[in-house]
Amino acid sequence: MSDCNCEQPLVPHIVEVIDIVEETPDVKSFYVKSAGGGLPYQVMPGQCSMLSLPVGEGMFSCTWQEGQEYQQYAIKRVGLLTEELHQIEVGQKLGLRGPYGNGFPIAASRGKDMLFIAGGIGLAPLRSFIKHCFKNRSDYGKITIIYGSRSYNDLCFKKELFEEWPNQPDTEVHVTIDNPEEAWKGHVGFVPAYVEELAPDPAGKVSVTCGPPIMIKFALQSLQKLGFEDEQIVTTLEMRMKCGIGKCGRCNIGSQYICLDGPVFDLTQLKQLPQEW
Amino acid sequence: MKAISDKIKSIAAGLFDSGKIDVFIGWEGGPCDYAIRPYIARSKADLERMAFNEYAIHNSSNYLLKLRDGHEKIGIVVKGCDSRGVVRLLEDNQIKRERLYIIGVCCPGMKDPLLAIKAQSGLLPQRDCDNLADKCLNCLVPNPVIFDELIGEQQPPHMQGERFAKVAAIENMSVAERFQFFEKEFSKCIRCYACRQACIACDCRTCIYDEMRPQWVGRENSNSDNMMYHLVKALHMAGRCIECGECERVCPVGIPLMLINNKLAKDADRFFGPYEAGLSYVEGQKPALSVYRENDPDDFI
Amino acid sequence: MKILAKDKVAELLEKIAQQAEVYVPMAIEQGSGFYPWTEDNKNQPLLLDALNVYNSPKYILFPQTERMYDLKQQGQDLSIDQTHEDSSPRVIFGVRACDARALRSLDDVFLTRGFEDSFYKARRDNVTVIGNACYAPGANCFCEAMGVDLTEPEADVILRDAGNDGYIWESKTETGDKLTRAVAEFLNDKETKAPEAKSFQTQVDYDGVAEKLKGMFEHPLWEKMAEPCVNCGACTYICPSCHCFDIQVKMWGDSGYRFRCWDSCMYAEYSAEAGGGNPRPSGVERFRNRFLHKLEFFSERYGYSLCTGCGRCTIVCPAGVRITDIIKAIKEVDSSVGL
Repeated sequence: MSDCNCEQPLVPHIVEVIDIVEETPDVKSFYVKSAGGGLPYQVMPGQCSMLSLPVGEGMFSCTWQEGQEYQQYAIKRVGLLTEELHQIEVGQKLGLRGPYGNGFPIAASRGKDMLFIAGGIGLAPLRSFIKHCFKNRSDYGKITIIYGSRSYNDLCFKKELFEEWPNQPDTEVHVTIDNPEEAWKGHVGFVPAYVEELAPDPAGKVSVTCGPPIMIKFALQSLQKLGFEDEQIVTTLEMRMKCGIGKCGRCNIGSQYICLDGPVFDLTQLKQLPQEW
Repeated sequence: MKAISDKIKSIAAGLFDSGKIDVFIGWEGGPCDYAIRPYIARSKADLERMAFNEYAIHNSSNYLLKLRDGHEKIGIVVKGCDSRGVVRLLEDNQIKRERLYIIGVCCPGMKDPLLAIKAQSGLLPQRDCDNLADKCLNCLVPNPVIFDELIGEQQPPHMQGERFAKVAAIENMSVAERFQFFEKEFSKCIRCYACRQACIACDCRTCIYDEMRPQWVGRENSNSDNMMYHLVKALHMAGRCIECGECERVCPVGIPLMLINNKLAKDADRFFGPYEAGLSYVEGQKPALSVYRENDPDDFI
Repeated sequence: MKILAKDKVAELLEKIAQQAEVYVPMAIEQGSGFYPWTEDNKNQPLLLDALNVYNSPKYILFPQTERMYDLKQQGQDLSIDQTHEDSSPRVIFGVRACDARALRSLDDVFLTRGFEDSFYKARRDNVTVIGNACYAPGANCFCEAMGVDLTEPEADVILRDAGNDGYIWESKTETGDKLTRAVAEFLNDKETKAPEAKSFQTQVDYDGVAEKLKGMFEHPLWEKMAEPCVNCGACTYICPSCHCFDIQVKMWGDSGYRFRCWDSCMYAEYSAEAGGGNPRPSGVERFRNRFLHKLEFFSERYGYSLCTGCGRCTIVCPAGVRITDIIKAIKEVDSSVGL
C-alpha cells in the first residue's frame, strides 16, 4: 500500500523540470524536483506518479529516485500528453502526484539472484529496481539483465546498458534487437525467444519482467517453460488510469486495480485474475 | 400479431434450412409482452425464443452494425422505420445488400415498452402507455421500403395532423426564446449517449465524442458542452436521419430530440431537395448532404 | 416513539432548510429525483409515497461534474490556485434502502482502501441521510436478494410510513440524534406500528453467484447476454452505485480548471490506452466488465454486491437488458460449458 498520506490525493504538487535527456528518438527522461527544492514525496522502485500538464494527466513509473534529490521519469511519446511533454524545456513546471502502486518486491527478493527481462520502454520502470540492486549490491546475488528493443536506436539507457552495468560485479547484460542492422553485432530476435536461448537457471532466482503486454505474455510462458515457479515470476501490468488511487474504476482487472493493488504482480496472483491483460 | 410472429418464424426457419442465412435478427420474447427485446438467432433452434408483438419497437437495423465486419448472411425483420435504417446503412456502405434477406412487416404502430415498464415500476411520474408510442404517432412510413418478402396488409400513415406542426412552433419563437427552450432541454442531458447508440445513422466506428486526439467536445455536464454534443450530433443527422424516433424514445430524461431531427429533415428537403432520407435504395445513391451541386444554397455561410 | 405527522413534513423541511441544503424526492416535469427544497421547487409534487424516483441521490455526494482545482499556466509556470472541496451541510430526505446501500458502497469506494478522496469526503462528512423504509416493493425491485433489508435503510434517521398516524421517526446515529434535536418541535410522542413488508414480486437468487462467476470470465454466455445491449451508458448513469469517473480539464487560454465527471465502462473510450490499444475492444467485453463489477468484483473487494436491486437499469434500458435475467442465467448455466 502506498505511503501517501496527503490530504488531497487527487491534487498535484507542482514540480520543476531540472533536466531533460533524450534517451531514444521517442523517449525522453525528465528530471523533476519541487519548485522550492527537495521532493514532494519519496517513490520506491516500481511505484508510479501521475504527471500532468494542463492538457491532461498520465501515470508513469518512476525510473529512478532512490537517494537522489530528484525523480527521473523516462517517457515515451505515444499520446496527447506525452506529445506535449516532449515539447517542454528545462524550467517547465509540471503537476506531480503520488506515489501510487505497490512497487517491486525489493525486500522479498533480498538474497536472491535477480533476472531482469525488459522490452522497449519497459526498461524504464525496471531500471529503478536494477539500480537499487547495484546500490545495495551485497543484498542481491547474481544479476542477469535481458533487454531488447525494436532497433538499436530504440534501446534506452545505452551508456548504462553497454558500459556501466556489464562492469558491475557478478552481472550479465544481454541485449537484443528485433531485426538485423548492419552495424549491430549483437543478438537479433525477440526477447522471449532470447530468454529461452539463454536459459537462465531458475534455482534461487526472482525474475522481473516489464515491457509491452504481448512481450510480457510470451516472456512469462518462456519462464514457465524454463522451470520458474509462479512465485518466481514477477511482472508489471498496464491499464488506462485516471485517478491513481483505486476509485475511478477503469484500470481494474477482475477485482484488482492496477494503480493501487499493482502494477506489480507475481504469476500466482495473476492466475487468480481474469485473462484481460 | 401472433400470426405475424408465426409467419416470421416459419420464413426464418425456411431460410436457415435452405442455407440462405446464417443469422437472423428479430426479437426475443420475455416474461411479459413488453419485455420483448432485440435478438440475434444463430441457428434454427434459436428461433424458438423469437417473438414479435406490439412492443417490437426497437430499430432492428441497428443490430446489423454488430455484424457489419462479418461475412454471415443475415435475415432481418424490419418495420417501416427499420427498413429505412437498412437503407441508411446501405447508403453509408456499412453493409452489403447481398448479405441481407429482408422480411418486411407492414407496421400497425407499436407501443413503447419503456413507458410500459415504467408504468408498472412504481417509479413516478408515469405517462400513459396504452396508446401507440410517440414515434409511431409521428410515422409516415409504416410499410417497409426495402424487403425481399413482405408480411401483412399495407398500413396507412399513423401520423395525425400537420407533419411539421411542432417544428413550426419552435420556428415561430424568437431567437432568445428558442435558445432558452433548448438550453433548458439540454440542461437535462446526462450524456449517457443512449440517443447516439440507439441511432442507426450514428454508424461511425469512432464517434467524434470518443475522439480524444484532439478532444472535440468537452465532457462536462454543462450547458455549453451539452449543447455542443447535441448540435454536433444534429448536424451529422441532417439529411441522414430516417426519423425512426429511437433517440427520443430511449432518452432517459425525456429530451425532445426529434424536434431537431424533424427540423433538419424539413430543411434538407427545402434547401437540397426534394429529399427524404432512406425512402428507397438505389446502388450508389447518396444522402442529400453528401452530394455537391453548384446551385446549393449558401446564403447561411 | 417519535412521530412526524404527514402535514408537518413541509414545515420540517422548511426548518431544516434554514441550516442546510435539503434534497427531497420530487417529480419535475417528466423526470423525478432528489431535488433541492427551494422556493422554486416547493410547489412540485413531493414523492415520499412513491416507490422511488428515477434519479438516485448519488449525484449529491458525487456530482456528475465536479470541479476539483483551478489551474494557471504562464510561460513555463504552472500553479494551482484553489481547490473546490464542497463541505456545505446537506440533508437528503426520504432515501430508500436500495439507494442508502448504494451510498454505503460509494463510502467504501471513496473513503477506504488506502486513500480517502478529499472531494467526496468533504461532501460526505456534511451529509445527513434520512431513510424512508419500504414496505411494498415494486415490480422491478429485488433488493432483498442483493442483501438489502428494505425496511432498514442504512441512514442517520429512518422514517416509517405508519399511514394516517404519520411517519415513525427513528434516529440511528449521532448525526441523526443531532438532527432529531433540531427538529424536535415537529415530532410527537405516540405509539403506533410500522406496516408489514409485502413480499417481492421479482424473485432472484443471488446466493453463490459471485463465487460462481469467478470461473466464468470466458463463458460463452456473455456474448449471448450482451447481444441486445447497444452499449449506451444509461444504466450506468441511472445506477445509484455506479461510480466510475473521468478526470478532464477545461482551459481558456492559460487558465482553467481540472474536473471529474461521471464516466461509463460501456464506452469504448473508457479503457482506450494512449498508445491505441484497448483491453476491452468490443461491446461484449465492456458488458461483461460491467456486470462482473456489479455481481462479482465488488463483492470480492468489499464483501457485498454493488447491485442494490433497485431495478432502475432494467427500467431505462433501451434494449430490454434485465440484470435479474443475467443473475438467473448465471445461476442456472453450467459454468464449465464452452471452456
